[in-house]
Amino acid sequence: MAESAVKLSVRGLMKTFEGKEILHGLDFDVFQGEFLSILGPSGCGKTTTLRILMGLLAPDAGSVTLDGRDITTAAPDQRSMGIVFQNYALFENMSVRGNVEYALKFDKDRKGRRRELAEEALVQLGLADQIDKSVHELSGGQQQRVSIARTLVMEPEVILFDEPMSALDVETRLSMRAELNDIQERLGTTMIYITHDQEEAFALSDRIMVMGGGTIHQLAAPDQIIAAPADEYVADFVNKNLRIKMDSLARFMDR
Amino acid sequence: MGATKGINLTRLALVLFFLVAAVLPLLGLLANLANPEAWEVFRSPQFIPACLNSAAIACISMLLSLAIALAVSWVFCRTNIRGKKLFAALMTLPMLIPSLGLGMGLIFLLGSNGILTNLLGLSTSIYGFWGIVMGAVLYAFPSAFLLVYDVLKNEDSSPYEAADVLGIPRLRQFTGITLPYLRKPLISAAFATFTLVVTDYGVPLMVGGKTITLPVLMYQEVIGLLNFNAGASIGFILLIPAVVAFLVDVLSQERGRLGFVRRERVIRANVRRDAAGYVVVGLVSLAILLPICVFALVAFVVKYPIDLSFTLGNIDRCLNLNVGAYWVNSLVIALAVALVGTTLAYLAGYVTARVGGRTARLLHLACIITLAVPGIVLGLAYVFSFKGTPLYGTIGILILVNIIHFFASPYLLAYNALGKLNENLEAVGATMGAGRWRVLRDVIIPQTSGTILEMFSFFFVNCMVTISAVAFLATTIDMPLALLITDFDAQRLTECAALVSLLILVTNIVFKVVFAGARRLLTRGIPA
Repeated sequence: MAESAVKLSVRGLMKTFEGKEILHGLDFDVFQGEFLSILGPSGCGKTTTLRILMGLLAPDAGSVTLDGRDITTAAPDQRSMGIVFQNYALFENMSVRGNVEYALKFDKDRKGRRRELAEEALVQLGLADQIDKSVHELSGGQQQRVSIARTLVMEPEVILFDEPMSALDVETRLSMRAELNDIQERLGTTMIYITHDQEEAFALSDRIMVMGGGTIHQLAAPDQIIAAPADEYVADFVNKNLRIKMDSLARFMDR
Repeated sequence: MGATKGINLTRLALVLFFLVAAVLPLLGLLANLANPEAWEVFRSPQFIPACLNSAAIACISMLLSLAIALAVSWVFCRTNIRGKKLFAALMTLPMLIPSLGLGMGLIFLLGSNGILTNLLGLSTSIYGFWGIVMGAVLYAFPSAFLLVYDVLKNEDSSPYEAADVLGIPRLRQFTGITLPYLRKPLISAAFATFTLVVTDYGVPLMVGGKTITLPVLMYQEVIGLLNFNAGASIGFILLIPAVVAFLVDVLSQERGRLGFVRRERVIRANVRRDAAGYVVVGLVSLAILLPICVFALVAFVVKYPIDLSFTLGNIDRCLNLNVGAYWVNSLVIALAVALVGTTLAYLAGYVTARVGGRTARLLHLACIITLAVPGIVLGLAYVFSFKGTPLYGTIGILILVNIIHFFASPYLLAYNALGKLNENLEAVGATMGAGRWRVLRDVIIPQTSGTILEMFSFFFVNCMVTISAVAFLATTIDMPLALLITDFDAQRLTECAALVSLLILVTNIVFKVVFAGARRLLTRGIPA
């Protein structure tokens, strides 16, 4: 993985909101086919970063390149990227099929085949029986699958996830994790995954980028982050959770 | 990024619209206070009594409206009486009639030759202070009822179950759980009814007799004496309570109370309680239906109160008096206001709820501030600022003034509905190549179609019954139907005035029924 080509390259990314600096010049690379998590507490700038990557927000300074092409000012649909939101953002006035088909409606080359492509994507995500249902008949996990299918059908080269599992229950999360890894293995899509949940980041990622206060504190593989946290902040943020777990494990063993 | 430009243009256009159609006219009206003549009315002997009457009537009517609204809502939510839907619709019936019509109904019933007066041999007359209170409650109670009932029917029943387990008595449950839960809608209802009553001239003009209120004084100064300066000064006074009510109520409004888990109440069988419920709802229904039925009857008698034999002749009389043309005026105004108003209010709600930015906050304030401007004051402000422009004296100005007058409520409907939709819909659309307008058309409008219909309906019905903003602006040609009631009444064409009220009521009922059908069709399969 680490040897493969750089897919997405971010340089000197800055963003200020109403006088408050949110991002203080981010530099990082994402490799082809990698699963990168951006981990940090709320307010650390991770969502802002994601929105800039997607083109939903313009940075004040800095650049984003995809395969060597500068996409800093490209429109969201001109980036070969897709996004999956935490709260699904489904079109509730459309059926499950309608949601996925709509994603291809503005794609000149494939809109003619959108019916079959949508079906294919939905079947892949295990929604074969739900295709003609309306969206609000589905469970939370199923709704999130629809929104993933809706993104996949556009065949993006990079998929961004904005805390996609925070609204789901534990069991659904676990099966969804496996599913995401599965999709990535099958399609080799580069994935950037935003979360504030350490466990999730460690379970899913090839590398983790720990953010805090609008800067990157560390960008490394999960085992490296645990073995050699770059600073106090990372040690504190990452280990707190683990330490609690170790403590309870120790107490459990003592009994 | 063409959509961004479009949005900015829309936002700018809406702000400009409000500046020209609401802010500038009101500033013009206030500027008139610099005129020394304007202050004379404050020294007139009628002024202080009118102030006191207005304040007292508004306070008493407000308390009565709240008490009745609470009682009726309680019956609907806590008893097993039958026909709740029908009764609930009945409670809002007075909203479909001009306040002038309600006042007239009371007079037919309890005036010096009223049906009940004669039947019961009453010696007291309704004209005066208490007559106005009766009419005002009839006029304002439905608004209070809607606010309170809407909240009470969504109440969570688990606190009561807990209270039952703890053995807390029913009365204590009511004061300790129900009333605190209803605090917010009760405050809103209090201000809404107070503002409605204190700014209405229809009821006191009809049943006031010698008791003068501020809006009546204003009406007489402007319509009777063409004393526009005095009218402006009184308008300024009327603006004060409305603005205070607005500041306390709207600015303190907390948002997003929805979404909690709620347990449906199981209403146990209790014959005596239900019987009491029937009595309460029956009495209120009677109080609403009697004046309405009476003017419906008077519309079909030969000469009230001398010859009460049935006739359809009044229809011919009305047609000869051009009622048909005025009905068309009303329909044109109501439909135009509903179409343009709904579009503008929806766009404004879209900008403030889904686009944001500093101008959006300004726009939000501008949109809801119209809630604080009494129609009669707005109408007079228009006289001052639009006199001499080509718009003046046309049906266009009536449409414009009604749009502004009724803007706030539909705007808030749109703002709340649009704010509740997922905040990332536009972002998702953008990744697919669907611009803002496209997402608005394909996703957002279909998901809020129920709200759009409700907005349309609000504009329409209110335009059919309004007499306030249009009173000083209408000409004998473009006058809406509701204003004809005072004209006919003054010319002793009582039966025709009654028929006009009835025509407005029937128009509104037909419209409501058609709309309910349309709504059911449109919102099939979309959760509320």
